Amino acid sequence: MKLMIVDDSNIIRSRISRIMADPKLPLIEIIGTAANGTDAFALFTQERPELVTMDLTMPEMDGVECTTLLVEFNPDVKILIVSALSDKATAIEALKNGASGFLYKPFTDEELVNALLELIKE
Amino acid sequence: MSDLSEKDIEIFIEAIGGYFKQITKEAASVGVAYLAKNAFPMNDYTGMIKVSADYEGTLYFSAPSAMLRHLLTVMKEPNQSDENLLDAVGEIANTISGNARKYFGENMVISIPEKIAHLPENLDHQARPYAYVIIIKWKHYSASLIVDISRIR
Repeated sequence: MKLMIVDDSNIIRSRISRIMADPKLPLIEIIGTAANGTDAFALFTQERPELVTMDLTMPEMDGVECTTLLVEFNPDVKILIVSALSDKATAIEALKNGASGFLYKPFTDEELVNALLELIKE
Repeated sequence: MSDLSEKDIEIFIEAIGGYFKQITKEAASVGVAYLAKNAFPMNDYTGMIKVSADYEGTLYFSAPSAMLRHLLTVMKEPNQSDENLLDAVGEIANTISGNARKYFGENMVISIPEKIAHLPENLDHQARPYAYVIIIKWKHYSASLIVDISRIR
């Protein structure tokens, strides 16, 4: 399954890549990372990942706007929002716009793996 | 304009404590908040989040480079360049302010992080005459969280 990682933080993109590259995990191929919604959409249309981790607070195009675009392009894509924004309204807005799940920062390695595996199972 | 209450400040104390516990699996010692007018305890790298809508001001997380390198080591991040140390303070400030919205709600709008090395100890455009300072001790390092935020609606 192809995974794209979207976050404006270098260390978060790197951390998610490292966690998901664990050979013990089901076959997930990381097709690339993006630091904002604009670059993410360009990469998405080119590489067609089935799975995306998406930050919300990003420059240029935020995560909710980008989620809406990705779902318009491919309604079957599974998008896990990975964000520190912990108010209910933000989670509801993201889910309304097509996100499949929400993981709050800070997260542990296990929480990320479990959240992505849940999405794959659905 | 009104001051944040003791309970409001407790939210930031819990958020920074929770961050260290979750990421490092080791509790940090988070001190009681005190008020300061100037001479803020700034360290090598500082992440800043501006807040708006029902609130105004800035949240600062400031940490020494050695502490950030140790944190990145715990996170298994091999790239400990200046760029990534700046990224780390920005991400921590972003996480603390984002987590605080669980309590303050979506009407505390937060900016993307600004990241600066060697910020002076006096703040430009202070939102409050006195800002809250919270000292975080983890291992033998000391960092600071500065809450210069007022409620305006």
